Amino acid sequence: MNKMEEELNYTNAFEELQTIVTDIEQGEISVDELSEKVKRATALIKFCKLKLTTTEEDVNAILKELEN
Amino acid sequence: MPKKINDKTIFSLLEVTNSIKKTLEERYKSAFWIKAEMNKLNHYSHSGHCFPELVEKRDGKIIAQIKSTIWRDDYQNINRNFLRILKEPLKDGIKILFLAKIAFDPAFGLSLQIIDIDPQYTLGDLENEKRETIKKLQLEGLYDKNKKLQLAFLPQRIAIISVETSKGFGDFKDVIDKNAWNYKFFYLLFPSILQGDKAVPGIIGQLERIKKVLHHFDAVAIIRGGGGDLGLSCYNNYELAKAITLFPIPVITGIGHVTNETVCEMIAHTNAITPTKLAEYLIQKFHDFSVPIQKAKEKIADKSRRLLSEENTKLESELKLFRSITVSILNTNENRIKNASYAIKQQSQFIVKNNQEKLNVLQAKTRIATKFNLNQLKVAVIQLREKLELQPILYLKNSEHALENIEKNIQIMDPINVLKRGFSITYSNGKVVKDISLLEEGAAINTVLFNGTIDSTITKINE
Repeated sequence: MNKMEEELNYTNAFEELQTIVTDIEQGEISVDELSEKVKRATALIKFCKLKLTTTEEDVNAILKELEN
Repeated sequence: MPKKINDKTIFSLLEVTNSIKKTLEERYKSAFWIKAEMNKLNHYSHSGHCFPELVEKRDGKIIAQIKSTIWRDDYQNINRNFLRILKEPLKDGIKILFLAKIAFDPAFGLSLQIIDIDPQYTLGDLENEKRETIKKLQLEGLYDKNKKLQLAFLPQRIAIISVETSKGFGDFKDVIDKNAWNYKFFYLLFPSILQGDKAVPGIIGQLERIKKVLHHFDAVAIIRGGGGDLGLSCYNNYELAKAITLFPIPVITGIGHVTNETVCEMIAHTNAITPTKLAEYLIQKFHDFSVPIQKAKEKIADKSRRLLSEENTKLESELKLFRSITVSILNTNENRIKNASYAIKQQSQFIVKNNQEKLNVLQAKTRIATKFNLNQLKVAVIQLREKLELQPILYLKNSEHALENIEKNIQIMDPINVLKRGFSITYSNGKVVKDISLLEEGAAINTVLFNGTIDSTITKINE
């Protein structure tokens, strides 16, 4: 897991993505920043999509907790 | 018959009970409508008969109690009516209005034989219970506790209270597991009976278990379905409703019936009504998350492309402007140069012509002046030649005269002539004595005279 994913959860990833979209839409991003922002947005989208299609929960771990 | 023993009339138990039976039968000939609470139904499935416990309570205390019976055929009729009208079978713990005869059996004692039960009365009672539950929850401020909880942005981990084999749970799994978008959910079943009175402790018990592993879940889903519309009055139970509304994470219901909404469905965070709709609701939550991401992707791509294209256009127009400005500057300068070179050509031709004319004038003047000068020089040459021809003759005459004078002077200058006039010349060691300081006393000197020489010795020098 890289650093970004440790700090991100899907709520703040989603919000950050929306902020980037708004900034780009309102033309508040210069060509100089564009590449960096698009790169970040791509990473956020990838992260969010991964969240939609995977889960880390483990049935056995929960059952163990229930027994205790 | 009674026997008389020692003045006492003694009855057998059967005689007494038969007597009671006779008296009661004479006194209570017809059936009565009675209202009571049915604590226990006591249905024996083998015989098909029921032996309900009937009570009347006041302030929670039993103030009247009697056994009763419902024979198999009556029970089947009554239960059919209940199911039709209440969507509930005849069950423990309800208030009933029933038609009964007082029955007395010598062996089994006094009881009420229930012939019929009015389902409408019980329906009203169940509605009352529902109203009471709602009122109580509202008074305690619990009614919308669960509704106020924020459902996770992505409700992905679901604790399910259902029955493994129920059709409702199957429907739910079908929708969730086979979703076309590949959304991944995590769910774990906490099995419980979902209808009838046992559902209340069953569901509450599973909610307690879920609480222990709460951090693994985003929501609880109560899923029922396929069992018909029967036995749902448990969802109006105050204790169950309270357990749900106070649950620390959202509870979603998909109990799957079409009649009146139960209290548990009303106070749940979300009532999806059916298990399938509950699954679709969760998938919709994923869509709510996924669609903006997809849109964001498109928007970013589109806007970035547009931004770049705008910048490109700007750059190109700058370039065009630059090109046109430079071309115009070049043109202007080329024209200037052309004009200048034309001017230089014109000017120089004029200057050349002008100077040519001046030159011509000068040439003409020079020619005239030269001619004049030559004439003058010719005259001067002639004059000079005349002078030259005259000059040597004069010079010769002058020279002759000078020579004569020089000859006279030379004759005067000859020492013989000086010596003749009495002068003499003194020599010392062959040299003429001109300075007396060079002489010494006793030295020999020679004195030359006009006609002879004297040798002498110096005796004395006077300076």
